[in-house]
Amino acid sequence: MLLFRGGDWDKGLTKEELQQAMDRVMAWFEGLNERGKIKGAQPLGDQGRVISGTDGRFVVDGPFTETKEAVGGYLVLQADSLDEAVEIARLMPTLRYGISVEVRPILAQCPIFQRHPDLVRKTDRAAEQLWVAAAA
Amino acid sequence: MSTSSETTADYLLLFRGNVWDRGLSPAQIQQVVADWMAWFERLKAEGKCLGGHPLEEEGKVVSGKQGRTVADGPFAESKEAIGGYFYLHVADENEAIEIARQCPGLEYGAVVEVRPVADVCSMKQRAMEYSPGQLAGANA
Repeated sequence: MLLFRGGDWDKGLTKEELQQAMDRVMAWFEGLNERGKIKGAQPLGDQGRVISGTDGRFVVDGPFTETKEAVGGYLVLQADSLDEAVEIARLMPTLRYGISVEVRPILAQCPIFQRHPDLVRKTDRAAEQLWVAAAA
Repeated sequence: MSTSSETTADYLLLFRGNVWDRGLSPAQIQQVVADWMAWFERLKAEGKCLGGHPLEEEGKVVSGKQGRTVADGPFAESKEAIGGYFYLHVADENEAIEIARQCPGLEYGAVVEVRPVADVCSMKQRAMEYSPGQLAGANA
């Protein structure tokens, strides 16, 4: 999964620069899509809530982190390895404007089971079955 | 997918904090994991959760021109790192928040970020405000 961080990279760009940047982003995205690399992707709205505490007693406004670190969108990649995912992320056109991309392997099972091998696992559903292509 | 409004009724829950199990007994961990899976299965059965995944604790952060900087690890420290996500399809934000408040990890320090899924990238939207109708691929 690629997590795109930094939501205000367009500040200070001219109309032409922004047009070029978005053209490159769309071309990057379409290229990956044509190669069957994209399982799902969505931008996220700037709004949101952060919920914490027992029974979710705290509800505060906004994304979790400050704007330059906030997650602005995601992309679920079909890649053969972390290295391939990183190579794809490095081609993301808006990196030059300060966006960063977090690349995280998706797991078939919760890492809690790896840390605690004695835990009983009550369902065997594979990760692939969990992802319904909501963004397709 | 509608393009008439900025957001749909889809929300992403981002689960933050992937060390909530530290200091818990095996029985407690078993309980939280069982509750979490039952919660997920129930939401899926109700059609309110379309998918979800845990994320591996390792990873890379790519930044800089042409992605010249590749650093190890999730972006944030462990207690803020994203450990997984649910994709929700619900009536409105209130329902998404109500579901987030049911997360079994909250009691042990997990934090749930609720974010609306946007129809159109906010950059495209801003670009379109610059030049209505001129941005190529604006409705892709």
